[in-house]
Amino acid sequence: MNLRQSLKPGAIGGIVVVYLSAIGMVERFQDRNVITGLVGLGVVLMLTTYAITAYTTARKSDQPLWTGASVGFFAGLLVALVTLGFEGLINAGLDVRGMFVSITPGLLETLEFGLDPAVGALVMVLAATIIGAAAGALPTLSDDLRSAIVYAVTSTLLMSLGEPILRVTLGNLNLPTAWLYELGGLTIPGLILILVVAFGARWWWMSGAEARRESKAHMPEGTRRTWSRTSLFLAIMGLAALPWIVGPFVSDVLGTVGLYVLLGLGLNIVVGYAGLLDLGYVAFFAVGAYAAAIFTSPASFLVTEEGQTFAEAGFTNLWIALPFVVIIAVIIGAAIGAPVLRLRGDYLAIVTLGFGEIIRTLVLSDWLAPYLGGAQGLTRVPAAPPELFDLRNPQHIYYVILIFGLVAAYISYRLVDSRIGRAWAAMREDEDVAEAMGISVVRYKLLAFAMGAGVGSLGGVFFAAKIGSIFPNSFGLQVSINVLAVIILGGIGSIPGVIVGAAALVGLPELLREFGEFRLLIYGAILIAIMIFRPEGLLPNKRRQRELHEGDGPAPLDQTEEAPA
Amino acid sequence: MADTAPTTQSSRRLRFERIPMRRIILIVLSISIIYGVVAGSTATLRAGVFTAEDWQSLFINGLARGSVYALIAIGYTLVYGILFMINFAHGEVFMAGVYTAYFVAVAFAGNGFLNSNPLLAIAILLLVSMTVSVFIAVVLERLAYRPLRGAPRLVPLITAIGASFFLQYTFRGLYGANVRAYPNIEILDGKWTVFGIQMLKTQGIVIVAAVVLWILLYLFVARTKTGRSMRAVGEDREIASLMGINVDRTIVATFAIGGALAGAAGILYVFLFNQVIFTMGFLPGIKAFTAAVLGGIGSITGAALGGLLLGILEAVGPNLFLTGAEIPSPNQLQPVIAFGVLVLVLIFLPGGFVGASEEKRA
Repeated sequence: MNLRQSLKPGAIGGIVVVYLSAIGMVERFQDRNVITGLVGLGVVLMLTTYAITAYTTARKSDQPLWTGASVGFFAGLLVALVTLGFEGLINAGLDVRGMFVSITPGLLETLEFGLDPAVGALVMVLAATIIGAAAGALPTLSDDLRSAIVYAVTSTLLMSLGEPILRVTLGNLNLPTAWLYELGGLTIPGLILILVVAFGARWWWMSGAEARRESKAHMPEGTRRTWSRTSLFLAIMGLAALPWIVGPFVSDVLGTVGLYVLLGLGLNIVVGYAGLLDLGYVAFFAVGAYAAAIFTSPASFLVTEEGQTFAEAGFTNLWIALPFVVIIAVIIGAAIGAPVLRLRGDYLAIVTLGFGEIIRTLVLSDWLAPYLGGAQGLTRVPAAPPELFDLRNPQHIYYVILIFGLVAAYISYRLVDSRIGRAWAAMREDEDVAEAMGISVVRYKLLAFAMGAGVGSLGGVFFAAKIGSIFPNSFGLQVSINVLAVIILGGIGSIPGVIVGAAALVGLPELLREFGEFRLLIYGAILIAIMIFRPEGLLPNKRRQRELHEGDGPAPLDQTEEAPA
Repeated sequence: MADTAPTTQSSRRLRFERIPMRRIILIVLSISIIYGVVAGSTATLRAGVFTAEDWQSLFINGLARGSVYALIAIGYTLVYGILFMINFAHGEVFMAGVYTAYFVAVAFAGNGFLNSNPLLAIAILLLVSMTVSVFIAVVLERLAYRPLRGAPRLVPLITAIGASFFLQYTFRGLYGANVRAYPNIEILDGKWTVFGIQMLKTQGIVIVAAVVLWILLYLFVARTKTGRSMRAVGEDREIASLMGINVDRTIVATFAIGGALAGAAGILYVFLFNQVIFTMGFLPGIKAFTAAVLGGIGSITGAALGGLLLGILEAVGPNLFLTGAEIPSPNQLQPVIAFGVLVLVLIFLPGGFVGASEEKRA
């Protein structure tokens, strides 16, 4: 039998669940209903782990159903035993929480499904076995059926997690929501409806897939271009209509996502196109925000000849300040870049990180506090005159960010195949060869750095305008890491990737408050997982994908299955 | 765009390009830094804010914290010497050990063991801290770095950054987000006077312990079989494996040794600074990396010297360079000194001062 083969994956699944419990994720997520009265997100997280380990093991086995079930069994058994163990320790009067702050009574209750410990342990093993068997059964099904099931389950989960947006949106459209959502989760009728609809839709779609692919392949070039133009146009129209559909709260989140798209596009030029890993990108974001604040805030040190601040002299127009801010950022970018761009890739990354931290420390210091506000930050950044756009209104600033984002996306798009873009690509692939071909490496690197700085500062300006006051704590290393994670998840060098990355990494956590404290944990895990399993990201840039898989031939699939030493 | 430009314009462009912007910026940068350091120092010394004793204690302080940096730096340098990757998560390896040992220390303080039997207690703390750090370092290598051997250079670096945040927030989830104060160990209170120089007992112990550990490590790398295989794998991985060296095991050993030293450094660190929190690994990590680069990455001696030098610069620097320039609260700017040193070393002396000649070979 293959019981011994499933011992290791089972143990891995169990350890992952224990880990997720011990860092508090299960309990925190459990606060959120997925299906109200039935399942919380914590339990879903747990069961998903079982399902994934069971599925990946079963897929390679010749008895998938049994393998899946036994993987689930071992995983569940491990978790149940650990739960009982902790229960015992606590009953013995040990102060477990003194060390592991997340092992709370609430967590144990979740892990025991609110039952008596022994019964709860049985239920855990049973649930894990059933889920494992179900996941193990998936590979035996036909492709269409499997796809339809996976699709139905994922859409249910997404619909449930999307509750904050969807409920508000439906409410704005004056549609009833009570039948679908209750206390943050789906209702049972809603659940059934979504399952059925998603399953049916996917089934129908899969059955017609062949014919559609055929007709697409025979579509004349002109028609295809019209199609893609039309869909782009529709997408932009959809984006434009969005804030009025979703209402102010979600618009605010969209604005933040847009800000990260902007930052991502900027960093994408540096990291994606020129291949320079910049870990201090937040520096330009900070420069943009602070420069905007210094130009326009009445609290600024910058005074005119009559001793008034610019704001008192009537200069509160962010739009006039904007080009100056960008020019300043570009100059600073070039000045920081010039001395360090000769460095090798990994050194460059650390140096830029150093610059980012230097700028943050300087901003925080008492020394520059008279100019930059120190820890108190700079407040009262005026929103530009609200004739056209009221920047404090989330629905308005969304448009501003959208417009600049589209412009940045268009420029990035046009850059790729331009002379500059090709020089960057050559440089990225082999610096020495590029140099030998007459490309001035330092100059093109500097150009990328300066452009990235300019776009990043734009992000900073809108950030300052949106929030109205800026504090040094908003400009820590985390921002650089967030932006990096955004472009890496989406796909380095890919413009659609930036948008998807920002939506997933910035939008989701904003909506799911439960994610809050685990945000950087998840970002870290994503950086590791993407680099190991799919370095080209979710929506890869074709050329970049080729570069990353250069020379590893058909190997990558096998590499992950390296036998333990 | 400029390809079709008329000749006069293109020759003007050429002339403009011939101005070596980079070199000019570098020269201006170095002159202004030298000027700032000299002017600031003379002003401070002339103002006489600090007495000779103050300088002595700052120097000892720098030496002590530099010893901690040196021990952490060895982890960076060993890994870089063998895999050519910056193990960005090494600071978290350091944090993990000492943060876990904190709970043991609290338990010992609770039952009085910590002060009734301090040497044994400290030994156990060291052991716990080192074990946890070794465990984390080895798991990190196995799960995050091993699948990426041979990937382009930036890939493992990005992974390491991800691992750094992953570990930080894992320990935040496990142990909570608060700053925790290490319990006091009575025999470490008080001062010693060595050759007429006063120092805190903790500082003395830290310096001595770091020197002892460094010597042990040096002997290990120079004399033992594992040490020889480490050097061989760093030289040429393929040939080493042809010579019958188990490359995987050697790399694991490298991570384990780096982890052990980081774990020990953690305990020494709390002797000096007394606090633990989940983010505590970041700054010492970056500073230790700076130290490794300063000394010449890949060189163990370089890591030690770089650590000490950076520690002294950091302790003495702000007061010496900045007080005279009438900059308020100069010690706030300590990180600027550390990062500034990092940037300057990488720009002007990327091989570090020990390994300057070796850089070309690597």
